[in-house]
Amino acid sequence: MIVVWSIALRLGVAALAGLLIGWPLGSVLAGLAIAFGVYLCWQLAALLRVEWWVRHRSFADAPDLPGAWGEVVTQIVRLHRRKRFHKQRFVQLFRQIQRSTGALPDGVVILDEQREIMWFNRMAGQLLSLRRPDDLGLRIDNLVRQPQFVQYLDGGQYINPVALHAGSRAGVDRYLSLQLVPYGEGQLLLLVRDISRQMRLEIMRKDFVANASHELRSPLTVICGYLETLGGDPLLDPDLAGPLAEMRRQAERMTTIIADLLELSRLEAQDAGAAGEAVDVAALLAMLRKDVLARQQHPAEVRVKVESPQWLFGSESEIHSAFSNLVDNAAKYTPVQGSLEMRWWTDGAGGHFAVTDTGIGIQPDHIPRLTERFYRVDAGRARGTGGSGLGLAIVKHVLQQHDGELSIESTPGKGSTFTCHFPSSRLRDGGNQAREAG
Amino acid sequence: METADLTHHISRRFNEDLERVRNRVLAMGGFVEQQLQKAITALVEGDSSLGEAVALDDSKVNTMEISIDEECSRILATRAPAAGDLRVIVAIIKTITDLERIGDEGEKIGYIASRLANMERPADKYREIKHLGRVVQEMVHSALDAFARMDVNAALEVARQDIAVDEEYESIQRQTITFMLEDPRTIRRHLDVMWVVRALERIGDHAKNIGEYVIYMVHGKDVRHTALEDVERELRHGRDDSH
Repeated sequence: MIVVWSIALRLGVAALAGLLIGWPLGSVLAGLAIAFGVYLCWQLAALLRVEWWVRHRSFADAPDLPGAWGEVVTQIVRLHRRKRFHKQRFVQLFRQIQRSTGALPDGVVILDEQREIMWFNRMAGQLLSLRRPDDLGLRIDNLVRQPQFVQYLDGGQYINPVALHAGSRAGVDRYLSLQLVPYGEGQLLLLVRDISRQMRLEIMRKDFVANASHELRSPLTVICGYLETLGGDPLLDPDLAGPLAEMRRQAERMTTIIADLLELSRLEAQDAGAAGEAVDVAALLAMLRKDVLARQQHPAEVRVKVESPQWLFGSESEIHSAFSNLVDNAAKYTPVQGSLEMRWWTDGAGGHFAVTDTGIGIQPDHIPRLTERFYRVDAGRARGTGGSGLGLAIVKHVLQQHDGELSIESTPGKGSTFTCHFPSSRLRDGGNQAREAG
Repeated sequence: METADLTHHISRRFNEDLERVRNRVLAMGGFVEQQLQKAITALVEGDSSLGEAVALDDSKVNTMEISIDEECSRILATRAPAAGDLRVIVAIIKTITDLERIGDEGEKIGYIASRLANMERPADKYREIKHLGRVVQEMVHSALDAFARMDVNAALEVARQDIAVDEEYESIQRQTITFMLEDPRTIRRHLDVMWVVRALERIGDHAKNIGEYVIYMVHGKDVRHTALEDVERELRHGRDDSH
């Protein structure tokens, strides 16, 4: 309101001045024109000053103008101060965020929907050898070119991280774990961790198990040999026959455990998706059935249902080892009057092999841990049946090698079903060679 | 930089084509790098199955080369690129040839590795090969990085490393001859080792070539068969002229 009044006052003064000048000269109109002309010039000069001041942003020395222009200048200065205050707060916040992500022990890279690098922290730069600012705007897979990573990026399944061999530094191999996290609209967050230490420990552990098993095997062979000779000795004290038989049984169990451990190390050492051949599942199941029937004690009913003529692509010996482990377990835990069924079928999802028994079943809380090495549902009983405790671990590893999965369903007291699922890419047409087995 | 050049195009589809073919070259490069790394590991650790796997996988490299080559021909035929874009396509066609050759040398190393794995291993466990292998791997890596970043300085650095590789090749050769003279029974094995070292030296040359294509792509200068100092001088002049 004050501004309006001040403008009105100035216009009034100008009009008065015009009258005062115009009256003595005899022409009021000319006087008014001169007065308003002067007023207009003064206004234009003020406007130019304000414009110049706003453009050059020298907010420190605001022009000292009277009236409405003064008011405008004050408002602009106030607006500017408020903006500067907010900006400073944002800059501070932004710096803090940048500093904290920069201090993260893990590498962080922000990718846009084109997979181009938008930003990365110091650690990511170090781990992936990225350069600032040259690499901003480059595609991440142009710089991190390992085929596993490119596949992971293209695959779109970012649940698990991917481990990469990232060259060597000072003669020591470096391994990185890369995890993508989608966020926003198609943007990706790439988390990078140095896992060289874990990988080295893992390699050491694998080597140790493999070497130890290997070293244990030779002395054990000697012990087994002598036990066998002693057992067949007619002059042996009959009191020792019992203990000797037990020693032989235990030595045989140890041999099985070591054989299984070596098998596991071998499976772990080889690359996933190893080459193989088409395996005739029907023939394999027929063979497994014979093995079960050849056991001293076996379930009364052993059925084989082959519902698909398709074959399975993979390593025959490994698939045999996995399937026979499942069938052995089922046979072991099923009473003589029970039944055992092996079933092979295919559908849209791929191929499936299921072993169903009417055995003692497994409590649900044990199921997630069954494939752990040496995991025992019931320590006393399992040792009695002579298992190595590694069977299901082998099954799991074989399935991993064949892109498969194991699912377990069980009702205590009623029986269990172990099912192996293989993707469609693993199925092959067996042609005329496929045959029914019963 | 080149990436900025690429975006100047009237046709967005053309840009996408160029960008995609560049990405495929780098993906092929990544695969070749891995092949090389596996081949050297197979040799140093005496892993015959890994060596065989490398030799088998070389067909994938060949397939990639053919398909990128076709894509380039298609771009040349349908878009008729000029100036900088034409240079990019030409450089890509040349780069994939060298990558494919690197793949072939890797295959050779893998094959020899699987054979050497069954023979007696020398006392030094192929330390020289391991070292030379690491240098050569790094060269291939830097050359591809230079390609991705259009980084002329990195490309020059690769050419500089190649001199060191050639020197090392000479010295391993002399050393191997000494071993052969000392114990003629190991000549067979040492001949194989010589093949591997020769392959590594060739890979170094191919990496250097890729670096040269990067310089060609960025500056439009053909620097093949030119001494390194001359190249550097010429590039410096070129830059002065443009300023």
